[in-house]
Amino acid sequence: MTRWPSIGLLGRIVLILAFVLATEFVANTLIFDRVSKFALQDDEAHRLAEYLVVAHRIMDRTPAPARPEVAEELSTARLAVRWHKGIDTQSTSFALSGLRDQMLGVEPALFEAKLRLHLMPLRQGGDIAGSVELSDHSTMAFQTRQQKSFWPLTLGRIVALALPMLALALIGFMMIRATLRPLRNLMGATRRVGRQEPEPLPERGPQEVRGLIRDFNAMEARIHRLISTRTQALAAVGHDLRTPLARLKFRLDAAALDEETRAAMSDDVREMGDLLRSLQIYLGGEGQGLPAEKIDLAVMAATVIDSARDEGHDAYYDGPSSLEAFARPVSIRRAIANLVENAIHYGGNVRLAIREEADAILILIDDDGPGIPAERMESALQPFVRLDEGRSRNTRGMGLGLAIVQDAIRAEGGTLSLANRPEGGLRATIRLPRGPR
Amino acid sequence: MTAQTIILVEDDPGLRTLIARMLQENGFSVRTAATAPEMWIALENGPPASLVILDIMLPGTNGLDLCRQIRRTSDIPIIFISAKGSDEDRILGLELGADDFLAKPFQPRELVARARAILRRGPMTDNHQARGRNEFRFDGWTVYFSRRELRSPSGAVVDLTGAEFDLLSTFIAQPMRVIGRERLIELSRTRLSDSSDRSIDVLVSRLRRKLSAAGGEPPIVTVRGVGYMFSAQVEPA
Repeated sequence: MTRWPSIGLLGRIVLILAFVLATEFVANTLIFDRVSKFALQDDEAHRLAEYLVVAHRIMDRTPAPARPEVAEELSTARLAVRWHKGIDTQSTSFALSGLRDQMLGVEPALFEAKLRLHLMPLRQGGDIAGSVELSDHSTMAFQTRQQKSFWPLTLGRIVALALPMLALALIGFMMIRATLRPLRNLMGATRRVGRQEPEPLPERGPQEVRGLIRDFNAMEARIHRLISTRTQALAAVGHDLRTPLARLKFRLDAAALDEETRAAMSDDVREMGDLLRSLQIYLGGEGQGLPAEKIDLAVMAATVIDSARDEGHDAYYDGPSSLEAFARPVSIRRAIANLVENAIHYGGNVRLAIREEADAILILIDDDGPGIPAERMESALQPFVRLDEGRSRNTRGMGLGLAIVQDAIRAEGGTLSLANRPEGGLRATIRLPRGPR
Repeated sequence: MTAQTIILVEDDPGLRTLIARMLQENGFSVRTAATAPEMWIALENGPPASLVILDIMLPGTNGLDLCRQIRRTSDIPIIFISAKGSDEDRILGLELGADDFLAKPFQPRELVARARAILRRGPMTDNHQARGRNEFRFDGWTVYFSRRELRSPSGAVVDLTGAEFDLLSTFIAQPMRVIGRERLIELSRTRLSDSSDRSIDVLVSRLRRKLSAAGGEPPIVTVRGVGYMFSAQVEPA
């Protein structure tokens, strides 16, 4: 079944309004039309009757030879008059007996003149024809000619009727939109929940909407309180553990231990320090509070790779020697370093390439490791998710690395994507929009 | 040579004792303080101190404010130790005139190495004029010592590793003079794990590459058999 795209609440209400208006319009028009048609018939009957009486009198007084000419002169745009000898033998059409009665009611003289009416066949226009008898038993025949202006007239009438309706519809649309605006604002606010400081929405609009906004404001405040208490608690843990850890390092250095134990314990302490550090970076959005500035992205990436090489890793840089871009240096440097560390940790090696596109800079970080199973690709970017859970215990950090990278890149308006390369290994792609130069 | 005196300001009693003991074992004389008032007393009494190690989080006050106050009257080198370790703090601290920044938990040896490096930097940092001027220019490039930052002629931040920055600092301190390879190796010993001739050459070539990235000729000349010379005019910015 096809799902039509929703027209929204506003669309629905406007549609309902339009339906009601249209129904009313059609009903109005039909009734008005019926009434006016009757009125028209009445008028027509009067006019026709008066005219025929006058024409009858004139023709009667005109000598027979001049009658065709006079008949011609008596003809108007709406009524043709002819004269002929002899008596009209056609009987009055049943359908027109009502009209005849009406006309006779107005001008009883027409009764003596033996008024006959008949309908012309439709193919001849469906007009009304008829005749009256003159005193010498000759016949004055007549035929109405339907006005061609009938349709434009009705069209004009419809437009005249429809205009106020259109105006009403427009006003209705604007009023409904204004009524729904608080709901729209609420929608926008919903999207922002948890991303920034809560900003209570003003309670406006219909009563139901006001209630909804009030509840929403309360909910947002509650969520924000929950998040910030947890963040503060985690940050406090991270912060308060650092001093005891520092003490532990000093004591370890001075302790009478064999070298192997000391090295192992030293590693443990370092790991704890790394855990705390990544936690603090993740919670604090490190460096994202600093302003963006002009940086040499190519030198930055090459420096990260150089440092990895200095530590004895298999690391290569392939890209321009200089590429200026606009970004927050601390957080973008951390993003690149985290991806390089990940590649070395999971893949054993790293190749970093920088490619320029018309509107973006691509940083590609490849390794020759096992990649990420397709079903785990999604969760890889989630915080506190470690991909080698249970398999190896030498993972550093709390599974926050990629979440930190993603936050940093989002702050620059860029995107991070992960994909397994067809030839094996993982490719992380940072796409940064080209900023102002 | 008499022992150099270090003032240690740290509010955690355990850590204060441990750091002090370790510094003493490494040949320094240490006076400790747990609060800001104690620090001022320690600074003013006894033989003149040559270095302050300052915790950023102190009861009732902030190490950054203390640093600002010290800088009003003194050029004594300052090393921050912080439990926050965020780069905002690091940059702010270095801007305020601190000489180095260590995030807890640090390796004890790391603190000693940094302290020694700063004290040995001697001539340049002891020179009041040079200390006051934190920025230098050469060939359109700008070096900000407080932030340990290099900017290209177009104003872009150009990343340097710690060792590369130290090497550049050495060159800038002695422009137009041939610096022997041995001397460079010795100076970089605190940073490089493998201070062989080769790694100095690698460092120099990386620095050259970065300084030529903007299109110009790098101002580092090889003097065959002796060492290197920084060939650009250096001026305080």
